This record gives sequence, C-alpha cells and structure tokens, in this order.
Amino acid sequence: MSTDVLLQTRNLGVRFGALQAVDDVSFEARRGAITAVIGPNGAGKSTLFNLISGSLRPLTGQVMLDGQDITGQPPQRLLAAGLARSFQITNLFFELPVRENLRLAAQFVEPGPWWRGLRHVRTSRSAMQRVDELIAQFELAADADELAGFLSHGQQRRLEIAMALASRPRLLLLDEPTQGMSHADTEDTAQLIRSLVQDGLSILIVEHDVDLVMKLSDHVVVMHQGAKLSQGHPDVVRADPAVQAAYFGQEVQHA
Amino acid sequence: MLESALARVAPASATGSRPNDALRWIAAVFFVSALAFGLIAWAVGDVFFLRLATEALIYGGLALSVDLLLGRTGLLPLGQALFFGLGAYVSALVLKHWDASFWLALGVAIGASALAGLLGGLIAIRSKGVYFALISFGLAQVVSKVIYNTRELGASDGLIGVPAAQVGGGLTSAVPLGFFLLVLTLIFIVWALLSLLMDTPFGRQLAAVRGNEQRLAFIGVDPWRVKLAVFVLAAMIAGASGALYPMLRGFVSPELMFFQVSGNAVINVIVGGTGTLIGPLLGSSLLTGLRSVVGSWTEHHHIAIGLLFVAVVIMAPRGLVGGLAPWLQARLDRRGAKDRI
Repeated sequence: MSTDVLLQTRNLGVRFGALQAVDDVSFEARRGAITAVIGPNGAGKSTLFNLISGSLRPLTGQVMLDGQDITGQPPQRLLAAGLARSFQITNLFFELPVRENLRLAAQFVEPGPWWRGLRHVRTSRSAMQRVDELIAQFELAADADELAGFLSHGQQRRLEIAMALASRPRLLLLDEPTQGMSHADTEDTAQLIRSLVQDGLSILIVEHDVDLVMKLSDHVVVMHQGAKLSQGHPDVVRADPAVQAAYFGQEVQHA
Repeated sequence: MLESALARVAPASATGSRPNDALRWIAAVFFVSALAFGLIAWAVGDVFFLRLATEALIYGGLALSVDLLLGRTGLLPLGQALFFGLGAYVSALVLKHWDASFWLALGVAIGASALAGLLGGLIAIRSKGVYFALISFGLAQVVSKVIYNTRELGASDGLIGVPAAQVGGGLTSAVPLGFFLLVLTLIFIVWALLSLLMDTPFGRQLAAVRGNEQRLAFIGVDPWRVKLAVFVLAAMIAGASGALYPMLRGFVSPELMFFQVSGNAVINVIVGGTGTLIGPLLGSSLLTGLRSVVGSWTEHHHIAIGLLFVAVVIMAPRGLVGGLAPWLQARLDRRGAKDRI
C-alpha cells in the first residue's frame, strides 16, 4: 500500500436478511484528494458509507485508515482517529442555537482530563475559537444565535458540514452534501469542498448529482447492486461501457 | 403516545447557551419566600406546617433528580423513588444501628445510591423512550417488593423509632425551624450546583442527548457514558433527599419506593415546569401542601391533584415556571433595553 493512500477498504461486505447490500467492495481514497462514490438508487452507496463511518458493522472485510485497522469502531473512536462525517438527512441539534451546535462539535478539539467537562463552557478557549472560525468560514454569523431548526435548508446543509469539520478531521466523509440545494448553493458548496482540499483535507463523497461529481472528484468509484462496478479518473469512468449501461444510460433516457 | 406527551411538556429553557435571568429571578423569589415562610411559622409557634414544608423540600430534591433526567436529558424515570427509598432506608439503618450522625447517614446514603444508580443505570440506559421508563419503573417495583417481604427490614411496617439525627452545634433533626433551614440550605446548594452544571460541557451534552442522541457519537461523545453519568448523579440526588426523610418523620416504609412516590415526583416536575430546575421545587411545594390540605378534608385528594395535573398540562403545557419564565424574560429584556438607552 503506497503512503498516499489514506483510506482503504478490503472486501467490505454486509447483508440485511436476503439482501447483499454491500458485496466485497475494495477501494482506496488518496490523501489530499476528492474521492467520490456514485451509483444508481439502491446501489449500496450509503450503506458503504455507514460501514466506513461506524454507523454499521461490516460482516466481512476491513477498513484501514492510514494503515490502521478501524473496522467496526464506534463513531466516537473514528473521530479520534481523524475520520468525521456529515449526514444526507440533516442531522443537527435542532432545538439548540447554531453556535451551541458548533460548540458541542468543537469541544472535541480540546481534550483533557474528565473534570474539564465540569468547568464553564466559556473556559474552553480553543473550542470557542474553533466555533468562531467555523461561523466565519461558513457565513453563519447573522444566525449564530438562532435555533438550528429555524435555519433555511441551505444554511442547515452548511451547518451540517461545519459540524463535521469542527473536530479538524483528516478525512471528511460527505453524504450527499448538496441534497435539496438550489443550483447556486450547490456551486458554493462545490467551491467550499475544493477549498477544503486545498487546505489539506481528504474527502470521500457520496453524491447523487453526477455532473457535480465528475467536475469535482479526482477519483470515482461506481457502485451497482452492492458491488463495485468500475473506478478511476472521472473521464475513464464516464467512458466505461459497463457504467454507461448501468448508470448514465438510464440518466440520459430519463433526461 | 408517550413521546408526543413528552414533546408537549418540552422545557422552556432548552436553548442552553442563552442566559436565563427569568429562571434565576423566580428561583430567588422561591428561596426568599421559603426562608420567610419558615421564620413566620416559627414566630407564630407553628410546627405542623414547618414540618410539612420540610417534607415538601425533601420531595423537591427528588423532583430535581427527575427534572435532571426528564427535562434536561429527555429520559422519563418512572421509578426514581427507588433511589429515594433506598436513601431513606440506608439513612434510617445508619441512624438506628450505627451512629445518630446527620452527616454520616447522609454520606452513606449518597454512596449507596451512587452504587445502586450505577447498577440500575447499566440496566436501564440500554433502552430508550418508553422502554427506559418501564425498566426504571420495573426496577423500583422489584426492589420495593423485596423490601416489603424482608422481615429484617420491618417488611410492610418499615422501620420505626429512628432517632433524631445530630447535625452538630446542638442542632438535631427534631428542631423544626433548624432542620427546615438545614434542608432548605441543602436543596439550595443542589439547585445551584445543577444550575451551574448546565453551563458546562457535560451539562450541554445532556441537552444534546435529548435533542439528537445519535449525532452525539459523530461529534466524539459516547452518549452511553453521558447517560450513565447523569443517571448516577440523579440517583445520588434522589438518595440524598431520601436520607432526610427518616430524620424528619422518624420512620421509613416500603411505600417510599412505590409508584405513588415516583409518579408524584414526575407530576411535581411537569406542573412546576420541566427542564427549569426551579419549577420542580415549586411544583413539589405547591402539590405537597395541596395534598396535605385537601387530604385533611377528603380522602379522595388524588382526584383533586389529578384534575389539577390535567388542567396544567392543557392550559400551561410547560408548567407554571415554564409558562411564567418567557413572559418575565421579555419584561427583563425590555427593562434592560431601556436602561441601556
């Protein structure tokens, strides 16, 4: 395994009853790159994501992060190892203000003895600083004291990504980050994702919007019926006849 | 059904990071009034109401522990009397058979409830929602029946003849005003510590458990640990409150662990204002007084309390304090704005 591989799955699989949701999937995500997982509905993209991010335990195979076996670790351990994720269905603390959502997530950057958890939140300087950075970066200043549940959909999607970034991960998993966004917001989010990679982050993204993925990614993995169908540079994948048949063919027909 | 009922009594001050001056004001009025009540009762030579008020504060401590779980963490405990009764029995045993020291009885009772809270928590917090409520209810039922059938613990009669607890400096739990002031001070300390706790990372994680437990793990916090810690803390507060009961009344009985006590504590919290911390103390004071006064007229006082509960849930679903606080906060904000101009 070359050293520029950050995440690697080996023969990853899980089955729900009779359904083989993810079947023997092996792929790599390189350091400092954007890797995308695409596929038609029901291809197993989200399940694959859940296996990597600790939401589900795989039945077979391994997940390696930077050479370290992280298979089946709970999400809080994965965060400590440098892997954070956002959610497709906005998954915030809706009854709490924006600032408090971020503060909860940023608390992680300030580890310490257990009794730190019993001091006033304002004493957590580095966490508060991280919150201010994120509010500025994600343009949430005007609504920082608003309850997360009252934000617009686009703002909630931005907060969703900001929450995942609060812990300063090495690898960020984005689950359909532009889901339900307007065209303009989608463009902004694409810009944001590019700038994150320029800052040294590695990204694994599951996305429905094929055009976006093809423009954004360095490497694409195509899933079909739970298995890996194809992978490679966006242009290579686009030209693959198997992918054309399984995915793009349908898209064109519907469009 | 239960989930939607819980949503309707959602706390008024859930936002966490906003300073809630209104709640502090209501708390100040409550504690000053309690102090004034004690002094007036003492001045007119009353004992009955002073004792009743002490009992109300003791049940207030139990209600605080319920609010910590229900209002702050979103866990409905239907068996919190387990720890209240345990604290009461441990305290009675220490006072009767070991040493009539207030501090020893209180300390041993808190230690025992912490241990019981750890065991009970390991069982109960594995479940969520209705199942958590029913498991906590079941645990209390099992332990109360065991005590009910244990002759060494007085079985259905309980333990009687518990001596007055010696606090020190000549004060004992038999002095009506002195013990009332001591209990008031202890309850104030618990309330103040819990209020401060809500502005710590741990306290904020409780609100996060209530809001979206699943997400918590993805921001690096193990929700299981948070829930176990708060369950143990709530058990210790309930146990400490229970420890005061035999000092006041001179006896303990298995009824202290029965659903009646757990259920009343939940009602006190909801009537007073879920998630407000001061509301449960107010609710306990009003309802303990009401139960006693109405109970002296008719033995059907449960009907009166039940009707009141229904009325509050319909008309002020956030409870008395939960309904009052936003109104008061708006007035305080307006005055603050005027002062700045």
